[in-house]
Amino acid sequence: MSPRAKTTGAASAAGPKVGEVVERFELEKAWLVDPVSGREGPGEIVVRDGVLESVVWLEGEEAQGVTDKGVVVGPGFFDLHAHFREPGFEDAETVASGSAAAAHGGYTTVAVMPNTSPALDDPGVLERIRSASRASGSPVEILAFGAVSAGRAGEQLSAMGELADAGVIGYSDDGAPVKTPKLLRSALLYAGMLGLPVVEHAEDIELTAAAEAHDGYVASILGLQGWPAAAEVNAVSRDLGVLADALADEPRARLHLTHLSTAASLDLVRRARAAGLPVTCDVTPHHLALADEWIAGSRRWSWEALSADGGSRDPWADGALTAWPYNTSLRVNPPLRTAADAAACLAALLDGTASAVVTDHAPHTVVDKEVEFGRASNGISGIETALGVLLALVDAGKLSLAGAIAALTTGPAAIVAGWPAAAATPAARKRGLTEGAPADLVVFDRADRWAVTEASLLSKGKNSPLIGRELSGRVLLTIAGGKLAYEDPQA
Amino acid sequence: MSVQAYGAAGVPEIDSAPTQEVVWHHRHLLDVDALTWPEIELIMRTTDEMKGILARPIRKVPALNGRRVTTLFYEASTRTRVSFETAARNLSADVVSISTATSSVTKGESLVDTIRTLEALGAEILVMRHSVSGAPYLAAEVFGGHVLNGGDGWHAHPTQALLDLYTMRQHLPGGDLRGRKVAIVGDILHSRVARSNIWSLTAAGADLWLCGPATLLRGMDRWATAWGDGAIPGHGRFHVTSDVEVAVRDADVVMALRIQRERMQGGLLPSLREYAARFGLNAERVSLAKPEAIVMHPGPMNEGVEIAPDVAVSGRAVITEQVANGVAVRMALLYLLAGAHETGRPHDAHSGEAIR
Repeated sequence: MSPRAKTTGAASAAGPKVGEVVERFELEKAWLVDPVSGREGPGEIVVRDGVLESVVWLEGEEAQGVTDKGVVVGPGFFDLHAHFREPGFEDAETVASGSAAAAHGGYTTVAVMPNTSPALDDPGVLERIRSASRASGSPVEILAFGAVSAGRAGEQLSAMGELADAGVIGYSDDGAPVKTPKLLRSALLYAGMLGLPVVEHAEDIELTAAAEAHDGYVASILGLQGWPAAAEVNAVSRDLGVLADALADEPRARLHLTHLSTAASLDLVRRARAAGLPVTCDVTPHHLALADEWIAGSRRWSWEALSADGGSRDPWADGALTAWPYNTSLRVNPPLRTAADAAACLAALLDGTASAVVTDHAPHTVVDKEVEFGRASNGISGIETALGVLLALVDAGKLSLAGAIAALTTGPAAIVAGWPAAAATPAARKRGLTEGAPADLVVFDRADRWAVTEASLLSKGKNSPLIGRELSGRVLLTIAGGKLAYEDPQA
Repeated sequence: MSVQAYGAAGVPEIDSAPTQEVVWHHRHLLDVDALTWPEIELIMRTTDEMKGILARPIRKVPALNGRRVTTLFYEASTRTRVSFETAARNLSADVVSISTATSSVTKGESLVDTIRTLEALGAEILVMRHSVSGAPYLAAEVFGGHVLNGGDGWHAHPTQALLDLYTMRQHLPGGDLRGRKVAIVGDILHSRVARSNIWSLTAAGADLWLCGPATLLRGMDRWATAWGDGAIPGHGRFHVTSDVEVAVRDADVVMALRIQRERMQGGLLPSLREYAARFGLNAERVSLAKPEAIVMHPGPMNEGVEIAPDVAVSGRAVITEQVANGVAVRMALLYLLAGAHETGRPHDAHSGEAIR
């Protein structure tokens, strides 16, 4: 690891193992980013006995030669939306493999979604996840959302109160929307009473039955059944309407809309927030950086597919189709949208409509992905590539480095801080480079590109459309809660 | 062996095995979008040769003697399957025929496993029909031989588009479609025939009009708009309309597409009767086309729905010619593919070129 760095741990002279307290780690002359204070610049850090002992900002001659293009230190990332598939789908991912993948991606806290089997609809399932986390030895902190409905069946409420007592940070039937507006209203009220949010996967499933790809030019040419933007817009307007209604009875009702993907639905959220509704939302790296034209074989970033008038360029006209079409790792829910929608996701992130980037890390087995496009499971394995994708946005001048890191740290933390019962918990803690606090940080090198391959991904899910591509920002070290979570083997 | 020269591309006499002289570098035929116009013309000329064979008393030549063609149909089909198998047998290929009703597919075997099994059993050329768009692309990724798309989902039906093109050329002076008006009327949204015909007919320079009720034209308007300014190299513009008279008026070619009964359940059409009344190709509508215009249909027909019975059997109808030409076009494609250079993985076939 460069510049000069030294990591020592408790157990061996060769450095700590994953899960062990980082006894001593010093990093000289790196670019520090602290999204809590808003400060970034050349600096040095010292970790001793798992505590971030000192953060020194360098000035003048000492700072010379240190730029934001090299080694960067930021707070550990917080993923508000991931699927670790345990219990029930351990072939696709486990808490252990997911935690390893998360740490490789720079994450130190991950909130997992409850669409497991059985669904996380009672505290027993949460205990299984926690026990798997402990057994993994990984220090990556696992938070969880409970299901809104029992068995995610959309009929009756899950054991919401018991789940709250056990420590879930909210409720979601993710993978699907809360089935009916009536149930959503009950869920918002009951969860609001408990001080927790409903996290909604906004999809009008009537409009998306048998849908395969965003209902647009690319789907028309490829003969794929259209997944209309209206499916998300309808669901978001339903959800906002029900939220406004529920607030009259329970002012602590909170709604978080996850993985929004269309310009129109983000605009609805923008207006609702301006009107004072307690609604937040997030976007994913793939909806920011990829567009539906990838299914036809394009591999350019979404901003490279944007025309001068803000519309989408034509990959056929541009001769931009360089990869084999119908790659099932691009099949995801919500689907990859147009370049213009991707630009709207970015605009929402920049203006604060969306305050976090979440991975929606959705690992799948080969059995579920090496099939016909229309029969493939939805989802992208993305927790290890999120940083690299955001850095591509930074490299292209679309997003500041500090903005990218904030979207992965303070952004999600601020969303959680808006949920009354979660506000006082560690999940909502400010994620900065704070002296005297347990070291929780990531070190990555923007100058060091790494190849995304099946072998380089620690997730069991190799369903990444970025396989075969190089990303910048190799993660060199991740420390979670003072313990080693990931260290680059070459570092 | 006599070699008949066609410009730069030499096509050897068909009675001999394919040789390197065939200038054809596509390992698979998945859609016409990947074909350049000279390649399409090569297919047309090769089809001419095959027509010559079909005119002989004995229609069989040894060109693909010992080559193994497997037809794998995941969707019911009579004419396409029989057409491919007849084409392969005319070239003396060994034909294995698999339908999903009799295969391990009913036991839940994945497409990829099926393809690998067929390859292990010796399949060299795989003719595939599948209900999911893009499925042959997956097959081509795992199959070591050649994949010939016999129709995938809503996406593509390249041999149908090529036999349609061949049939149109037979009936147009000089075989030239440039500026000739072609109207395709029917369920465009769900039609792989329409999609492949868009690629081939805009490459041929035809004045292409797609027509149907708005519910069955979804997405076509934005496609036509995107191509309207000649954006795609090698392809002209095309038009979309729900006015059947506008589409058919002064047309040189009028093609009807099948309307499926399921479209009513999907809420896309009020009734077949209403479709027939508003969009069906009847004698009155066909009379708006040019006097010498031909009437086509890819089959199978719903007579009385998308095409009136008297139109289907009129002197203008070339529907049985399409079927006959289908055998010749498929012979040509089997022949060309069997002689294509081996280029390893399908990606290599494009050697960095854009895959259209």
